[in-house]
Amino acid sequence: MTVANIAAPAKARVKTRAAKGLGVAGTYLLLAPAMVWMTLFLVVPMAMIVYVSFWTQSTFKIDSTLTLASWRTFFASDTYINSLWTTVRIWLIVLVTTFLVGYPTALYVGLFVKNKTLQTALLVVCVIPFWTSFLIRVLAWRPMLGKEGAINILLMKAHIISQPIEALLFTELSVVIGMTQIYVVFMVGPIAFMLGRIDPSIIEAARDLGADFWRILRKIIFPLSLPGVVVGAIFVSVMVLGEFATSAALSGRKVNLLGNIIVTQVGSLKWALASVVGVILTVIMGLVIAGLLRVVDLKKEL
Amino acid sequence: MSKEAVLHLEGLSKSFGDKVALSNISFSVNQKEYVSLLGPSGSGKTTLLRTISGFETPQAGRVTLAGRDVTSAPAHDRGIGFVFQNFALFPHLSVFDNVAFGLRNRAQPVPESEVRSKVLEMIDLVGLQGLARRGTHQISGGQKQRVALARTLVTRPKLVLLDEPLGALDANLRQRMRTELRNIREQLDIPFLHVTGSETEALAMGDRLIVLDNGRIGQDGAPDEIYNRPASANVARFLNRYNVFDGAFEGDAFVTKYGSFPYASRVTGGESAYAIRYDRLAARPVGSAPGSNLAATYVTSEYLGSSLVHLFETADGKVVEVEHHLSNGPPDAYEAGHAYALTWKSEHGIAFG
Repeated sequence: MTVANIAAPAKARVKTRAAKGLGVAGTYLLLAPAMVWMTLFLVVPMAMIVYVSFWTQSTFKIDSTLTLASWRTFFASDTYINSLWTTVRIWLIVLVTTFLVGYPTALYVGLFVKNKTLQTALLVVCVIPFWTSFLIRVLAWRPMLGKEGAINILLMKAHIISQPIEALLFTELSVVIGMTQIYVVFMVGPIAFMLGRIDPSIIEAARDLGADFWRILRKIIFPLSLPGVVVGAIFVSVMVLGEFATSAALSGRKVNLLGNIIVTQVGSLKWALASVVGVILTVIMGLVIAGLLRVVDLKKEL
Repeated sequence: MSKEAVLHLEGLSKSFGDKVALSNISFSVNQKEYVSLLGPSGSGKTTLLRTISGFETPQAGRVTLAGRDVTSAPAHDRGIGFVFQNFALFPHLSVFDNVAFGLRNRAQPVPESEVRSKVLEMIDLVGLQGLARRGTHQISGGQKQRVALARTLVTRPKLVLLDEPLGALDANLRQRMRTELRNIREQLDIPFLHVTGSETEALAMGDRLIVLDNGRIGQDGAPDEIYNRPASANVARFLNRYNVFDGAFEGDAFVTKYGSFPYASRVTGGESAYAIRYDRLAARPVGSAPGSNLAATYVTSEYLGSSLVHLFETADGKVVEVEHHLSNGPPDAYEAGHAYALTWKSEHGIAFG
């Protein structure tokens, strides 16, 4: 679906070029690399996953006899259904937390900092954590959140708590904290970009017309930054929905996302069930992206 | 401070680092006045406007609006309407919602039932009937200008500030909007303070003209008074209607490197200079004319419709303009590259310094 959406305007553009004398052959020649690439590495694998999800799986082997058995297994199991809801819940919570942390940050960087150099410098600071590997960033939360971790020690030293908070690590909370920290930058970037494009005199005009800061934020700044929020939400959604490493490292195996199930199933060579989960995950992502794209017309806004 | 002064400025000063933007600015704007503020770029006119509206704070001085000291009041609490040069319309709102913004979003919002009638009435007043539901991308530059004006006027500000409001429009439209702006002001009884870098616009629009020169008030008066009797060499330069010569007083004469120029009036103080308006000059064959004269070579002419401007050049390359009003008869023919004597009556020369 998304592939078709992207291809349609591209084709239209190429057509106008063709009309200018590039010729039909030239058109196909220009399209060929992308088409070959997308077919080999997107269309074929996706079709393959759908196909394999209907294969017959026994303990030690898999064969291509078509069956609904794996689909039935998934929907009959409380464990799998629960992990589906956990995935949706964590996705929604992380979407909200990245927005709550990311929007004010973006507001500061994109709108309040007037100096362009400082603006770029601050955005680079946001990206610096990416200089270390993903796994190290996730695992670094363990000594922070643990029973004898940095946060508990600081809170005890400050006499704010007398007993360490154990709920900080190996819970859903630690997964949410870890994911928020890792993905918030994907929310900050697009929003800061949109905010940076707002003409400052528009905000002054709103002030001059008698609106206070909150009204300007609600009626002018937020609507104008909405395309950035949508793009950020798409980035975060796609990454969080497919997540498995953060929950594996920070939940002590208590939080099982669809991604974790795929990893486990592939690990035990249960390709058919892994494919079922893969298809379900892809459908969810498709729906989420389609839904978010309905909020704003990105083609018009960007 | 006169009784009906809406805006009163007292000793406003502001500098950015070493650069002085405003220096001891004082003036009043009265009810029903249309004041033009003329200044070249860098003269501080935008800073002055932003200080009045509350987007900048002065380092010294006071801003009084309708008897209330608003020097440190925030912009949204002043009741001043600001019309931006680039219109600054809200791009995500329709024409109607743009105009309604101030009514809906101020501290005490107007009830929605009144918003509709007020907004439509204002849209009619500025001549945008039928465009209320358009987006701001679907209207022309002139229409955007009207939306910006309507959006400000609908909130009934005590004073409207216009920052080069016609700068973004093409010449044809600019001419029409000038008349329109004056008409709108007359219907509303709100004083307008119109900032511009164009001397024709400033002279045409204002009941009163204030000339800004390097952050100071160069002159404040009626347009014809300023046009005929500029108060300083710089004001004469900004008017773009005077040939200005550097020089110094020696006894009764004003001596420039082109000769000694007689003068009837002298404005004391400030930079020494001699100014003679374009249309006070005449070009004669060398040696044939009495009176003040200046030797110059004819270069070319510019046709302006109602007049013709002849460009002459002195030996050291200074351009001297001579304007001939066509109502005074057909222009003389000059030959390019030939020397002429430029003459004028001594009572028309103004000496400064």
